Amino acid sequence: MSAPAVPAGTGGAVVARPRRQPGLLRQILSRPDGLAGAVILLAFSVLALVPDILTGPLQTAITATGPRLAPPSGAFPLGTDELGRSMLNLTVHATRISMVIGLLATLVTVLIGAVLGIVSGYVGGRFDALVMRIADFFLVIPTFVLAIILTAIIRDVLGTGSRELFGIRLSLITIVVVIGITSWSSTARIIRSQTLSLKERAFVDRARVVGAGGGHIMRRHILPNVTNLIVANAVLTFAGAILTETTLSFVGLGDPFQPSWGQLLDAARTVGAPGLGAWWYFVPAGVGIVLVVFAFTLLGSALDAILNPKLQSRR
Amino acid sequence: MGLQYTLRRVATAIFTIVLIVLLNFLLFRAMPGSPERILLGRMPGVTPEILQQTRERWGLDRPLFPDQFVAYVASTAQGDLGFSYSARGRPVTDVLLQRLGPTLLLFGLGEVFAIVMGLALGAYSGWKRGGVVDYVGNGVSLVLYSTPYFLLGMGLLLVFATGLGWFPTFGMSTAGATYASLVDRLVDYGAHFVLPLATVALGLIGQYAILMRSSVIETLGEDYVTTARAMGFRDGRVLRHHALPNAMLPTVTLVAINLGYVVAGAITVEVVFNWPGLGTLTVDALSSRDYPVLQGVFLLLSVAVVFANLAADLIYGVLDPRVRT
Repeated sequence: MSAPAVPAGTGGAVVARPRRQPGLLRQILSRPDGLAGAVILLAFSVLALVPDILTGPLQTAITATGPRLAPPSGAFPLGTDELGRSMLNLTVHATRISMVIGLLATLVTVLIGAVLGIVSGYVGGRFDALVMRIADFFLVIPTFVLAIILTAIIRDVLGTGSRELFGIRLSLITIVVVIGITSWSSTARIIRSQTLSLKERAFVDRARVVGAGGGHIMRRHILPNVTNLIVANAVLTFAGAILTETTLSFVGLGDPFQPSWGQLLDAARTVGAPGLGAWWYFVPAGVGIVLVVFAFTLLGSALDAILNPKLQSRR
Repeated sequence: MGLQYTLRRVATAIFTIVLIVLLNFLLFRAMPGSPERILLGRMPGVTPEILQQTRERWGLDRPLFPDQFVAYVASTAQGDLGFSYSARGRPVTDVLLQRLGPTLLLFGLGEVFAIVMGLALGAYSGWKRGGVVDYVGNGVSLVLYSTPYFLLGMGLLLVFATGLGWFPTFGMSTAGATYASLVDRLVDYGAHFVLPLATVALGLIGQYAILMRSSVIETLGEDYVTTARAMGFRDGRVLRHHALPNAMLPTVTLVAINLGYVVAGAITVEVVFNWPGLGTLTVDALSSRDYPVLQGVFLLLSVAVVFANLAADLIYGVLDPRVRT
């Protein structure tokens, strides 16, 4: 561990090409798809950050003031739900819940995937074989059904209370953890294959020869070179996490006290909003989901084009 | 086909199924509440002796491994998945089989529609790259790809059932209806079928079109396509006879890989339309915490997906000799 780190310049000539390119963010913003994705996400992030300032605190059955299931009007621009709460208020607050759950789930997924991918690729041997078998298992099985069952069981074991973590109710933290457990495998596979090729490069050999340990090499030499890949992967994972959270909430695993977009859609279905023609109940949340996922897809394709120049020249 | 290739695929599939069974076994042992209490229900006056007898009767006094696990695997292999909590103690297998038909009908047909239309749209967009169809089709595909199935279903329901009143809003047939003739019955079933089917097909078309488009573009750049053109074949012939057969290869895998996600879609679409299939069964079982049924659904769907993947791998091996390593 006490080995001198390889001077930046020597390794850089061979591998650090992605790091020498000026500003990934600037490159993304210079592409139309990247710019569009970033603008949409920025708008939703603002909604998610300051919902209270925009629409006041989250309305409850007690603080609801409007008529029941009323169509949009001057006082209630997006109408009201069956309890008389403003749908604008609910939808904006749901933005926050959906985005935060999506972000936390992405962090957990990418953390598990990146660590397992790097270690598995670098260490190799039996550990690698075992991890990749498990990853294949999660890639094949219908993870959504597993996620439903896991969420139900974990909630039953922990019990339902009003305990919170980072201001998020425990029932929603369960969803974060379950999404992490069921969706790390594709990240791990991608990071592993990149690690396998990095491992054979001269600068890793050099570090090993001067006595660097495995942990040091993985942290100082492999990790910096897979960072871009991790970011690109996180973008796609984020879209998937939001969709999974929405779907889990829709089948009844959301939390009515901290409604997400999916929870609103579930409520709309329970009330029978599509059959009653109460479009204002679910169209705003639906548009939110589609726009955010679409924005991540745009960002993902922009990143893909930037990080895989080969792909770009072919188009 | 290479024997080794086949054997390796089969071995992987068996290993995956073993893992699924193991996971199913362990997960439901982690649940709160002891099984003997669930078996006895809210029976009053349960003495420790009765509890002990129940444990012995159901083998709960023996260790998890290997005794209980072996017993579980043996009965699962015989199709005994236990009894539903909520459906008045009916065997889980019965409950599952009853719901399987509607799901297979809806998603089988939906897949077929999506594959035919998605591949056609993708192939045409890739062929006329940069044209109007490509531009619009690509945008629509991306938006459909970003939309959860159930949201699509709710939208269609709002517009075509509530707004325009063209189709009924839920179920497989009109409740309590008596039909004058077979034709009437079919018309009623058909009307109930249109919106769920459209939802499934539209939900899937996006990804097939996107994949087919890039696959066609890639294939069109191959030397043999240029050669065919240079030999003076007409455009349509080059596309149909030279480019398409190879471009369709990746879709075989995509259909199989997708099945896992289609399952998630299945569950939610059925809920939106109250379709009496496995999806509504899953959500009902979830809300009543009917764990034996949930366990059965997971087992059935996972094994089905594993077999579909195995089939796709083997078909791919026949179609594309390059992968037979």
